[in-house]
Amino acid sequence: MSGLVSSHRSFMPELLRKRGLLTAIAVFLLLLIAVNLLSAAPMGYFDVSYLSSGGAPLALAAVGQTLVILTGGFDLSAGAVISLVNVLLATHLGTTPGSEILWAVVGIGVGALVGAVNGFFVALLRLQPIVVTLAVMFVTEGVTLLVMDKPGGSVPADFAAFFTGSAIPNLLPAPLILIVAVLVIWGLLKQTRFGTALYAIGSDADAARFIGIKVARTTFITYALSGAAYGLAGVMVTAQTSTGDPLVGDPLLLQIFAAVVIGGTVLGGGRGGCVGSVFGAYALMLIVNILLVLNVPAYYGTVVEGLILILAAFSGVANANLPVARWLAAPRLPAWQPRRGGAAPTVRLGMDGPATVVPRVPWLRRHGEVLRYSLPAYLCFLIVLVVTGFMFGGIGPHYLGVLAVLCSFLIVLALGQGAVILTGGLDLSVPWTIGLAGILVAGFAQGSADAAIWTVPLVLLVGAAIGVVNGAGVVLFGLPPIVVTLGMNGILQGVALLYSGGTPSGFAPPALRWIMTGQLFGITPAIWFVLAFIIAASLLLSRTSFGRRIYAVGNNPRVARLSGVNVGRTTIGVYVLSAVCASLVGIMLAGFSGQASLGMGDDYLLPSIAVVVVGGTLITGGRGHYLGMVGGVLLLTALQTLLAGTTTPPAIREILYGAVVLAAVVALRERAPG
Amino acid sequence: MKPFARLAAAFLAGAALLTGGATAQAKPFKVYLSMSYIGNDWQAEAENMVRAMAASSALKDKVKLDVQVSGPNAQRQIQQINAMVQAGAQAIVVYPISPTALNPVIRAACARHVVVIAYDAQVTEPCAYNVHIDQTEAGRVTAQWLADKLQGKGNIVLMDGVPGTSVDTGRTAAAKAVFAKYPGIHIVAEGVGMWSQAVARTELSKVIATHPWSGIDGLWMQVGCLTATSMEKESGIADNALKPCAGEGSNGHRTQMLAADTTVQGAQGDYRPMGLPSISYASPPYSGGLALKLAVQALEGKTLPHNIILPLPLVKNETVKLCTTGTWNDMSQGCNVFQPALISNPGWFAAIYSQDTLELGLQAALHGTPEN
Repeated sequence: MSGLVSSHRSFMPELLRKRGLLTAIAVFLLLLIAVNLLSAAPMGYFDVSYLSSGGAPLALAAVGQTLVILTGGFDLSAGAVISLVNVLLATHLGTTPGSEILWAVVGIGVGALVGAVNGFFVALLRLQPIVVTLAVMFVTEGVTLLVMDKPGGSVPADFAAFFTGSAIPNLLPAPLILIVAVLVIWGLLKQTRFGTALYAIGSDADAARFIGIKVARTTFITYALSGAAYGLAGVMVTAQTSTGDPLVGDPLLLQIFAAVVIGGTVLGGGRGGCVGSVFGAYALMLIVNILLVLNVPAYYGTVVEGLILILAAFSGVANANLPVARWLAAPRLPAWQPRRGGAAPTVRLGMDGPATVVPRVPWLRRHGEVLRYSLPAYLCFLIVLVVTGFMFGGIGPHYLGVLAVLCSFLIVLALGQGAVILTGGLDLSVPWTIGLAGILVAGFAQGSADAAIWTVPLVLLVGAAIGVVNGAGVVLFGLPPIVVTLGMNGILQGVALLYSGGTPSGFAPPALRWIMTGQLFGITPAIWFVLAFIIAASLLLSRTSFGRRIYAVGNNPRVARLSGVNVGRTTIGVYVLSAVCASLVGIMLAGFSGQASLGMGDDYLLPSIAVVVVGGTLITGGRGHYLGMVGGVLLLTALQTLLAGTTTPPAIREILYGAVVLAAVVALRERAPG
Repeated sequence: MKPFARLAAAFLAGAALLTGGATAQAKPFKVYLSMSYIGNDWQAEAENMVRAMAASSALKDKVKLDVQVSGPNAQRQIQQINAMVQAGAQAIVVYPISPTALNPVIRAACARHVVVIAYDAQVTEPCAYNVHIDQTEAGRVTAQWLADKLQGKGNIVLMDGVPGTSVDTGRTAAAKAVFAKYPGIHIVAEGVGMWSQAVARTELSKVIATHPWSGIDGLWMQVGCLTATSMEKESGIADNALKPCAGEGSNGHRTQMLAADTTVQGAQGDYRPMGLPSISYASPPYSGGLALKLAVQALEGKTLPHNIILPLPLVKNETVKLCTTGTWNDMSQGCNVFQPALISNPGWFAAIYSQDTLELGLQAALHGTPEN
């Protein structure tokens, strides 16, 4: 994804480097002006004060996330840390100034501590950031629920006033001072050797290591600093709301990423900065006001927000080197010739040519690496099976049958999300692609017996269309995948609400119900289907030219393009694959439940990412095997099944879940550098 | 081709909403509905009922209602409520994302004489009004019913809501307190159902993987009896052997509670009368509509209590009764479940009757159309 843009980095480097920041500021100002022009009364000091304190948690968390992303990392624990700090403060804060100062510091410290845990596993044990922070997120959420199982508690008024009041009455809100202070620290930090190292690692960790930068130490400090920023965001939330709520930070997560990306920081590292993220965060907060002044009807809210997100990102890339322009102007490259045309460069790489040109290597050696990445998930799965067997007096065909059906959804989802991740992207539109597909298949069919014949292909076509739009946004317009797919998710939610009028109607075709819940040769038909799917999907990724192109693009888009791989078409292909898989899951879920409901895909986004990375896929692309992802699905589903069969409280469940994910990836750790 | 026409109509209707202005007379009250999220069946149904109330003949000239969805995080709802106050709101009906996080902004709104009224979920800020059921009572009564039904002994499965919310914590704690009084009752598994039939399905499947139906005697679910019954039927359990299930107020669940020989129109699969032994309770989706009505009364100078506890809608096998038309008059005669032919979504929430909302009938919940 970023390769398309970065190949032109040499032109006007200064302007390009600042472009993201300038765009973020422009978007923010544009929204601010729009709100003021469209509303009856322009914003007064009171509104600015509210906006500054309301957006502060998001802005501070985005600053923390920016640091991690600059090193090429990814931090999913941000929202959970905010919740943890919030409940800690709400339960412990005393009324004396001493206690207030102490606990504000403790809050930041707890954030830094969680960040240090992330940093330990990422920097010192060299584990993948996304899976480490995912596991830490679960553990942190569990601990938060242990501290406080429902909203409550209160903090003294002067604590709230200090952070959210006015530094200078009617002139300067306190949160602005705090944010400016944080940005000043960032500006100073950037000038230090640490700052240089941060960007160097994000650009190329190996190169940074060769020139003597202490990669591990810098990365560790980065995660700890980020955690401190989330901690500060948690302190801010506490002051702003005056109470504790164990779920307060969780929904901020996706917003944080959106703020960072709109702020001009590039996923994958090396480019961007914290100032843009702050403007990105406040721009996102202003969308609420835009919706209000435009009087956007409820069902259209997420659609408009999605469009604003995409437009904001679009303006960040529109002024130079727009890939669509280059694509239109480009001479016919060899890669655009018919695939079976046998163009010379592709044969040399074995991309399209027969596999026999590669000399035979023993099976174990050829697959040794794949085994090493994939096996730990299967080993952990076996351990969970053994534990389950002991706890419930053996496991039989009944258990395995249920487990297989439960796994089927993520097994399908993992192919699409996995392919996107292999190319270095991420598909956040999965939840409402699932939801819309389920609603459409039940709505079209209305329970009619033979409707499956035409509804299923039709809904899969709708899915493919969603994927084409996602892919086109990423490839032709050079937009960050996170923004395109997040925006798409909001748009799809609106479409689902409009189509269903808020009440999804109709039933899945009986044939679908039978596939998901009936019997064929003694087992649920879906299991036969999933076995076939696994074989087809493995072959697709490992034996077809499309599959090999995916890996090539993930390893290095520039090299892939120079070798004759059509990077753009491959990238669009993976987004289509992902959306089709998500639609299939929506159809399967409708068959499983008998009907569709709004939001039925909400709980599949993080698991779809988790199973892919637990299965050994490298989030930054290029490495991973589908069978490894299947192992990840088996492990996580079996673990959840084990926990659901007990009366373990939800808090402990989350902690155990996180701990097992972490244990699995520690076992999967690469011993060799690289 | 009907479905496509609907899709197109949906867009057109929305476009009309975008452009169509209010043609109200003189000075209607400016009222906002602040929702944090609308992407689930309950929220969408509640929103329909608020819109229906605003369109009723009693209120349509008195109220100009705008519905806004902030997105599911507290900061944005805080920002939204503040923007509503700035835009001249006289009353704000709110589905709060958090019972506590909105308190400061609500206090600021009250200070500017804005009536703030929360429905279904509570806010703890004393200046706001709350319209809701007693969640503790809901947990206690339904658990007691199940304990009595099982005569104090047996293995049961619990299905919780969203962990970390006041509603879930209140209901679950109350139910467990009841079960704890019966040494013969064993909670063998506890799933996290997230108040969603779809999630209940996967969670219960996980439970069944290690606890086959033969070892389960009863179910206590915040949402999921409909799903549980489907799963029992799939595993070959006869209608008269279905496990007692204390659960939600979905139309499908209540239909299953009807005596097996009841004649209904449009029954399909497990969405049919089968005499399921059950008690159905609900957080009723009419609460938003009622909140709007009360807000207008408050604006007109009436004094309201700040904590308005709605009667807990409880339906048992003895009291479940099929509606013929689903009008408010029809429901006021005691019917509480609708023909499957009218409600094609069995997960749809059927607890829509209140003696205080004669403006709201079936058409309000389904399409946002008032009774009069």
